[in-house]
Amino acid sequence: MSIRILLLILFFTQPVAAQLERKLAVEDGDVDLIFHAPRHINLLTVEPMAKKDLHFAIMHTFGTLDGGIRNLYGLDNGANIQFSFEYGISEKFSLGVARSGLDKFYNLYGRYHLVAQRNDDRIPVSISLMGGAGVNTSDYSFLPAGNPEFKDRTSYAAQLMIARKFSDRLSLQISPSMAYFVNPLEVYQIQGDQQLFLAVGISSKYKITGKSSLTFQYIPNLNSDLRNNIGLGIDIEAGGHVFQMYFVTSPALNEQYLLAGGNGVPGEEFRIGFNVNRIFATGKR
Amino acid sequence: MKRVFQLIIICFITTLAEDAFAQVYKTEKGKAEFLSKAPLNEFVGTSSNLNGLIDVDKNLVDFFIDLNTLKTGISLRDKHMRENYLETKKYPFSEFTGKFKTLPKFDQKNHDEVFVVGVFKIHGVEKQVEIPASVQKTSSNELAFESKFVIKLSDYKIAIPKVVFYELAEEQEVTISGVLKK
Repeated sequence: MSIRILLLILFFTQPVAAQLERKLAVEDGDVDLIFHAPRHINLLTVEPMAKKDLHFAIMHTFGTLDGGIRNLYGLDNGANIQFSFEYGISEKFSLGVARSGLDKFYNLYGRYHLVAQRNDDRIPVSISLMGGAGVNTSDYSFLPAGNPEFKDRTSYAAQLMIARKFSDRLSLQISPSMAYFVNPLEVYQIQGDQQLFLAVGISSKYKITGKSSLTFQYIPNLNSDLRNNIGLGIDIEAGGHVFQMYFVTSPALNEQYLLAGGNGVPGEEFRIGFNVNRIFATGKR
Repeated sequence: MKRVFQLIIICFITTLAEDAFAQVYKTEKGKAEFLSKAPLNEFVGTSSNLNGLIDVDKNLVDFFIDLNTLKTGISLRDKHMRENYLETKKYPFSEFTGKFKTLPKFDQKNHDEVFVVGVFKIHGVEKQVEIPASVQKTSSNELAFESKFVIKLSDYKIAIPKVVFYELAEEQEVTISGVLKK
């Protein structure tokens, strides 16, 4: 009896029309798209760039909403505009240059990605560092003291970014941040008068459809009584572009000015903001 | 009892023999490429991780690819493609299983222009297809193949939002090629 069973087994294990076994080429890589783009409202994210990728972002914040329809909700007040180009030197490190209209400010910055969150959760968070050095190039020759020296126009920023994609929908980033102004003159378009500003940036993304997310940012100050920055908006990913539309309390777009106050009351003093992100490939791979 | 043993031995031998003489060709390094030709943007995605099998005796043609291996040259675009369009977390593979409509001659001098019929699957949607292919036996244990076909994204429930219409083509031209080895 058992021999018959054995024969049956042998018969059925003869090769039959066998398909290939479906197996993944790479098991469990890094988590993709914690955020839609390297920028999220006004803060940088842990979203890395590949080597030789060029990220172009154009960001705007307009006037406050409280002018109403007569001022087209702040659009008539003109915009603070920042252009930035960030280039992937390697998979881990990218270098960028940005110019914002407010105080004609040039900023040189870099992002370094220490670790990336993994699908198997062996590394539960992505951690990146950001550092920046900037200079205000406005003309102050009208001042009795004349134009400030170059050194007095400079400011620096540093951020530690810790982010996690909790689910396909929800991502969160905490960014302990600092900004240091060598000489925060009153004439500069910053509200605070101290040199060092400390704050924690909180960014979140909640996906509502396959290609769009609700976004939120909150930047409580740690060492000043200035009003905190709040922003909320929507990210839309559209074939290579990421459009980001939001309401935010501050016109500032660079990492230094963002921490130095100037926030309006959330609600009537919100400003409309609009970013376009685009990534280009340069060189041949 | 003796006859039973003889039977077992025959079974074993035929199993071995089928392995030795079977006309099974395989590869794990085939090339796959898609071309998206939209009015405002044209781009190519490639992978060299196409897995394929052609079993001549059983007339079985079986291919699959891990869609995570497709690269378009811009990492953010790859990520958007995986997460929003192909949804590779849910549907990591694109597959084809079928057979030759008429078995090729496998003449070493000329390549055979043939059709394969079977089921193509991507984004979790299966569709009966007939695809032109070219195969040639390049040596006693190698089989070269190439095939070009068009995938209509809407056939496989891959939606293109209206704002992306000018950047992403509804019809993707796919080319696969490679050398299968015995």
